[in-house]
Amino acid sequence: MSLAAFSLADKNALVLGASSAIGRAAACALAEAGADVAVGSTLATPREQEAVLTCRDAIQSQGRKSLARTIDAANEADVQALVEQTHSELGTLDILVNAHDLPFAKPLRDISSKEWCRVLEVNLTGVYFACRAAADPMLAQHSGRIINIVSLLGERGMINGSAYCAAQGGVLNLTRALALEWARSGITVNAVGAGWTEGMGLLKDTAVQEQLRRYLPQKRLAQPSEVGEAAVYLASDVAGFITGQTVWLEGGALSHL
Amino acid sequence: MSVLDKLRLGGKTALVTGAGRGLGRAMALDLAEAGADIIVASRTQNQIDETAALVRTQGRRSLAVRVDITDSHSINAMIEAGRAAFGQIDILVNNAGGATKGMFRPLDTIPDTHWHMGVDTNLSGAVYCCRALLPSMVEQGGGKIINITSGFGVRAAKNNYMYTAAKAGLINFTRALAMNYAEHNIQANLILPGIFPHDDPELIEFWRGGKFIPVGRVGQDAELGPACVFLASNLSNYMNGQMLALEGGGLAGGQAPCGFAPVVPLEEDSV
Repeated sequence: MSLAAFSLADKNALVLGASSAIGRAAACALAEAGADVAVGSTLATPREQEAVLTCRDAIQSQGRKSLARTIDAANEADVQALVEQTHSELGTLDILVNAHDLPFAKPLRDISSKEWCRVLEVNLTGVYFACRAAADPMLAQHSGRIINIVSLLGERGMINGSAYCAAQGGVLNLTRALALEWARSGITVNAVGAGWTEGMGLLKDTAVQEQLRRYLPQKRLAQPSEVGEAAVYLASDVAGFITGQTVWLEGGALSHL
Repeated sequence: MSVLDKLRLGGKTALVTGAGRGLGRAMALDLAEAGADIIVASRTQNQIDETAALVRTQGRRSLAVRVDITDSHSINAMIEAGRAAFGQIDILVNNAGGATKGMFRPLDTIPDTHWHMGVDTNLSGAVYCCRALLPSMVEQGGGKIINITSGFGVRAAKNNYMYTAAKAGLINFTRALAMNYAEHNIQANLILPGIFPHDDPELIEFWRGGKFIPVGRVGQDAELGPACVFLASNLSNYMNGQMLALEGGGLAGGQAPCGFAPVVPLEEDSV
């Protein structure tokens, strides 16, 4: 092995949810490792449009090819169109990163069915749309890497987190199921488990951040880059025997009882 | 710094136990490839000499040290020898372990000596290594511990008692290390290798080539090294108390036989 084995040169990636801090970090890390990287947003809003365009520019300034598209994660046609655009403009699709993060927390009895459905649609169903669309090129070339970003709340519960936890837990176990389904088709499906991370949607309140810093064994939150960069390893050729797994970057949080 | 540069281990020293052959050798060589100097330890002199020579052909420094992994005095001496040679040890890979065929037997036929040998080899040895090394890791301001567990550390098998119990113990011992040393910038993580027959035709036959593994094949020794480099590197600095499993998808399932795939369409009136 040489360290070049970790390189993603000549690979093409699509990062969805590149408007989030972790998604953006993952997209930039994949590009830094040599991949051309297309990016898509989670929501079709002007703010997210600006975020994915900035991300595209950052990738291009590293000398990699990129393209950006503002999509709604829960809109099947949007997702399909972006996968097709990536495939046609970059040539192949080797790596799909799903980094959608629509934060939401409310007591269960206050959640409207509309809210519940939206949280599940964006955070979970959006991943299903993307995996299904990416499967066409990946199955045809008998190789591919799917990497889903999940949070601690996919593994552990949180008061007021019912909808978000259900969606994240859904992504985590979708990862395992799909890993088995495509295990002999050359596609690995894994998750990067994000600990409490700077810039995370649920952590806008600085008092909440302080509370977590005191609690966590490493006494700090993760930087988005520390989480996003793990996608490089899972996306590389040397991670071909890893599938259905979650790589947690969580500063020891899960070792607590 | 580029993301791939964060994998570089130049200027670091790694101690790998059980490094005379198989997975230990593969990990030692890839750590060396990433730039680390290597202390190669195991009980068999000619094997560690060979691994140490291979490390040197990669342009890294190496030291072969004989150790009895069940004996804390022997382990303390190994750590001392390593420190004397390289100044400090930054990365500890607790890979020594294993089980002989005679270890697998019904519970009521296991003599005390077998039990202690199994647990000492697969758990106590790693504990002794950490105990001997961690104070200096704290003093030097950080380090990486990589413990090698097994699929049998999280799932059971017939007539497998001490190996499975010890490897499970190693997992929670690692979480305890993560909890207690997190504030000292030391990360302790696990690698869980699946079936790796080391190119041995007899073993490949025994494991039926990995037919029962979701990806349909067994692991190659060379696949373990990059995982070890990842966990030894700055790319995993916020990963602590965690397990990286390279096992071809077996653990994602496990509630039904490999390939279990029923089809149940929605009934018409429920769409």
